Formats: sequence, structure tokens, C-alpha cells
Amino acid sequence: MMLALIENAFLSLVGSAIPASTVVVLAALGCLVGERVGVLNLGQEGLIGIGAVYAVISVLSWQVESPWLALLIGMIAAAVAGVLFAIAVVVFRANQVLVGLALALGGVGLSNQLGTNRNGTPIQTQFTEVNPGGVLDDGGILEAFFFHDPIVYISYLLLPAVLWFGLFRTRHGMNMRAVGENPAAADAVGVSVTWSRIAYTVLGAALSGAGGAYMVLSFTPTWSPDIARGRGWVALAVVIFAAWRPFRVVAGALLYGSMISLGATAQARGWGFVFDAADLSFVLSMLPFLVTLVAILLPAGAATIGRRVRSTAAPAALAIPYSREER
Amino acid sequence: MTAYRLERRLDLDARSSALGRIAGAVLALVVAGILLLLTGRNPFQILADALDAIFGSQRGLEGVALRAIPILMTGLAVALSLRMKVWNIGSDGQFLMGAFAAVGVGIHLDGPGWIVLILMAGAGAVAGALWILVPALARAYWDVNEIITTLLLNFVALQIVAWASLGFWRDEGAAVIQSTERVPYTLPAIPGTDSLTIALLVPFVLTGVLFWLFRSTTIGFEIDTIGGNPRAAAFAGINVRRRILIVMLFTGAIAGLGGMLQLSAPGAQQLGPGFSAQFGLSGFIVAALAGGAMLGVLFGGFFIASMFFAGLVLQTKGLSVFIILGIYGIILTGVALGEVAARYRLVRDELEPGSEPTVKPTPEPTAEGAPA
Repeated sequence: MMLALIENAFLSLVGSAIPASTVVVLAALGCLVGERVGVLNLGQEGLIGIGAVYAVISVLSWQVESPWLALLIGMIAAAVAGVLFAIAVVVFRANQVLVGLALALGGVGLSNQLGTNRNGTPIQTQFTEVNPGGVLDDGGILEAFFFHDPIVYISYLLLPAVLWFGLFRTRHGMNMRAVGENPAAADAVGVSVTWSRIAYTVLGAALSGAGGAYMVLSFTPTWSPDIARGRGWVALAVVIFAAWRPFRVVAGALLYGSMISLGATAQARGWGFVFDAADLSFVLSMLPFLVTLVAILLPAGAATIGRRVRSTAAPAALAIPYSREER
Repeated sequence: MTAYRLERRLDLDARSSALGRIAGAVLALVVAGILLLLTGRNPFQILADALDAIFGSQRGLEGVALRAIPILMTGLAVALSLRMKVWNIGSDGQFLMGAFAAVGVGIHLDGPGWIVLILMAGAGAVAGALWILVPALARAYWDVNEIITTLLLNFVALQIVAWASLGFWRDEGAAVIQSTERVPYTLPAIPGTDSLTIALLVPFVLTGVLFWLFRSTTIGFEIDTIGGNPRAAAFAGINVRRRILIVMLFTGAIAGLGGMLQLSAPGAQQLGPGFSAQFGLSGFIVAALAGGAMLGVLFGGFFIASMFFAGLVLQTKGLSVFIILGIYGIILTGVALGEVAARYRLVRDELEPGSEPTVKPTPEPTAEGAPA
């Protein structure tokens, strides 16, 4: 009996943690792509909002019936914001922290404004889970781990694999990492710092937008104001925790997602330990942010105390504008 | 024949840098106006209504001053950290925790009002400092970037405030559902005003103190040295890590005190989920606009407070909080671009007739690329 209860709770935790983390996986991979070429985009919160609201608009106002097309529209909208961001910080070399925060503010403002009349309207166009023939639908461990929609597979497996291979196993990836570590050297061997930074900043913005679009196309099928609710900042933190490596991003995002679904599960089942159920829900909704914070601090702390850890350093030229005449 | 080109300034004086940022902000407002026009709103009417709402009555002026208090406090906090090239983006959380601690003291202590208020101010400042303690330690001793760590704690602070106002300090008797019990003490009013208290004096005094600190003391000089080049500062014998820790704690304390001041305004006195209306972010924009200059914070603070107040008043006339947020974003972009533009100057080359300019003119950075 007890065992069955625990198994049940565990399955619902895993089952909900995986989709809950997908947004963070996508946004964090988006950050990673930009940060590897030396561009810090603090505007994740805004990009998620823009991606989400344009997916909502495409479904509700433009009658888009394919979730893939809605996802693409969300990505394009976020990419447009990414182009503006890239022009400001790469072409004009404006301060990345300032413009990033501007994008976070402006993006949240814009998406909330556009979403104003669409609050709570259900989004019918949804991704559906991949379940071959329905025969394996056992309501148990298989379902929790394996039956998710295609975006989950793409975000957790395909995308990190492609990024890992591209970054660490190809010449192009080596050049891109050089742009993030030592742009002057990359420039000297003929890599265009400006264009690679623009291209990957825009690609990163599109991925973050995909995260936002995914939220309304599968995870929470309706628009609500401030839809990102801090996920953009968590994504930025997850990249630090992951030491700028694609598969570790997945692990970091899952850590966050499991805290989120722990809160949701506890609330749904009225659990209470230490605190009673009502108070516990407040504590649990702080946990994702606290756990993320601790996750960033731990590697740095371990490095200081003397345990050898694999390099956790940020790309050396992160957030530093590159100008050939200023070398 | 003459040709113009842009030339990098060898050293950038504070005045042209400030002019660049202000010009950027002004251009950003023009861009925002054009965007409003394109979306079918009349920016001139909005501007006229806003000016009327602010300068048309004493109530308007007091409304701006009232909003300026929290914005100036968070602005000063961020500006102080900027002097050291540290980004305290968590001033919203420190502000909330300051108010939280002040409520805790205010509803549990009985005594002469002025003693309780002093204790509330102390508690607010200490709570704000404690809220930045972990990010400050991590930044100072473990070299963990403070941007994300300070920001993550904002969300935790929001949850604590929600918990207090819905849970353990909830006002059971009140009609307002989500707020804490009421603190019975308020700061003394400024004679001749309806809503202002001596809280308004605090940011002015603090600005003066910080201005003096950076103008005439070794501590201020050391902070600026760390901001300029931490390695050089260390070689000069400054204990850089300790300075970073202490200054960051001070920025938290200032923001926390701001929370207490906001709470002690007549009519506020309670803490609820909407207590901080993005004051931390407003303060951040103020500090960026001022470029860390303390006197600049005063001007920037009143400018942003006016916009914030106008946004509140004009909600029925085609503006919304969300649009104001968007305009904040455009202004911040304009400031960042203006900062870059100030590094260049236009020079005129006298050329022989018929010859080509030797240096290709580069396009001047403008306030394009605003993300809204």
C-alpha cells in the first residue's frame, strides 16, 4: 500500500517534471548558444513572453491549426527581438547587461500588452504525446518517462546532442568557442566575430522563444500575464550551473522542474510535512529559485575550498563587446 | 571640401558621457512616441495629459514625490554598486524584505511611535543587507557573478511577502484579502502637504552623504578604484574582497530602508503581494541613466517617478502599466546606446578639393534597436 503510494507520487513527479522543465531546457540552450560566442542575453524573461504571446496570437487570431507552425511563429517573433538586441550589443557594442534588462522589461511589457484580451482563452492547438498505437499506455513508469510530445524529445535529446557535436566536434564549433573566449584571435584567423555573434544571438533568441511558445502549446494551454514567472532567470542560472555544456543544461533544468512539480504535487495532494499544507505551498514555491541558487554556488564553493572540479569558468569574453580598433 | 567622420575620444569626461545618456533617453522617448502613434494612440495627447496630471495640481506633484522615495532609494542602492562595477539587480527583493522586517517589528512592538519607527528602520536596513549577504559573499570570495544570484532572490522575497500577507501575518479582520496586519505608526508629515512624510528627506540626505563619500573620502576613492581596475586596487593595498562585501551589504541596506520608508507612508502601512510595483527595476533604470553619479540619481529618480505616476493616472487614456514597462525598456536601450555614442566625437577633415576622404565615415550609433 505504502509502496504503491510512493510509486504513484514518484511517477506523477517525473511525469510532470519533464514537461515543466522543457521551457527551461529550451531557454537555457538558447542562452548557452549566445554565451558561447560571448553574448550575454539577460532578456530571457522577455523572449519567453514574446514567443508565448505570438504562439497564442497565431492560434487565436490567425487560426493556425498546426502546433509546429505556431511554434515557428513564436520563434520568429523572438528572433526579431533577438535581431534588435544583436544590433544594439554587437553592432553598436552597447552594454549587454543594460540592453538585456531592457529586453527583459520591454519583452514582458509587450507580451502582456498583446495578451491583454486573450487572458485565459484555451489554446486548442496543442502538441500531443508520442504514444505508438496506444498499446503501451500502462499508466506507469513507461508513460511517465517516455510518453511525451515531440518537443520534449527534441529539447532533451536531439538539440543538446546537435549542440554538443557542433560545439565540440566540428571546426565551426571550435571557431565559435574561440569567438567567445578570445575574439581577437578568432578575428586574426579570419572568423567574423560580428557575424557569428549576430547569428548565434538570434538563434539563441529563437530557441528561448520556442520555450515560451511550447508553454502555451503544451504545458499551460492558455495565456496568462507574466507567463515566464522567473523561468527566464532560472534558465540563465542553469547555464552557469551547467558550466556552458549542453547536456548538463538538461540536468540543471530537470532539477528546477522537479522542484516545480514537487510543489504542484504537494499542493494537489494536500501534503504537509514540517509546515501544514497551506504554508508548505509557499515554501515549495520558493524552492525552485533557492535550489537554483545553491546549484550555482556549489561548484564555485567547491573550487574555492580546493576540490578539483572540471572548469566551470564562463567564456572569457562573455559580455565584453569586441572592437577591432580597441585591441 | 570638408568631410565629417567619427573619432574615438581618447578619454571620456563625465559630462559628455552624461549628455550621451540623456540624449539616448530623449531619443528613446521619441521612438516610444512614434510606436504609440503607430499603434493608434496619440502621444502628444498622452504627453499633455501626463504633464497636466503631474503639474496640474498639488496632488500630482505629491504623487510623484511619493513614488520617487522608493525609486530613489533603490536607485541609490544600484548606483552605489555600479560605482564598483557590481550589478545589484536584486534591489526589489531587498526592498521587499526591508518592508517585511519593518512590518514584523511594527505589528509586534508596542511603545512610543518614534522608538518603534527607528527600530523598524533599523530592521528594514538589516533585513535588506541580510538579503544580499549570500550573493555578496559569493561574489566577494568565490567570484560568483552577482547578476543572477541577486535576481533569483527577488522571487524568493516575493513568495515570503505572499506568505506573510496570506498566512502568518494575515490581517484576519480586513476587507482587503491579501495583506498583513496594519502597522499603527507612521512617520511625521511634512507641514503643508497632504500625503508626504519626512521619508522624502531620507533619499536627499543619503544622496548628499554618498556624494560627499565619493568626492572627499578615501573610502569613496577606494570604491572607484575597485570599479576602475580591481587588480590595480589590490596592488595598491586595498582589501578588494572585503570592500566588495561591505559595499554590497550597504546597497542591500539602502534598498531595505527604502522598503521601510514606503511602508511607513500614511495609507500604506500594510504589506501585500503588490507592494513593490517594480521599484527595483525602476531604480535600476535610474542608476543606469545616472551612470552611478549620485546627484544624477536625484534627477533620474524624479524623471522615472513622473513616468510611473503618469502611467498610473493615464491607465484609462490609452496607457497601461505594460506599455510603461515597454517604454522603460526602450529608455534603457537608449541610455545604453547613448553611452556608446558619447565615446565618439564628430570631427571635420579639411581636404584638398577633388580628393577622397581618407577615412570611411562610420555610421553614428542611434537609438534604433529598441526591443518593443
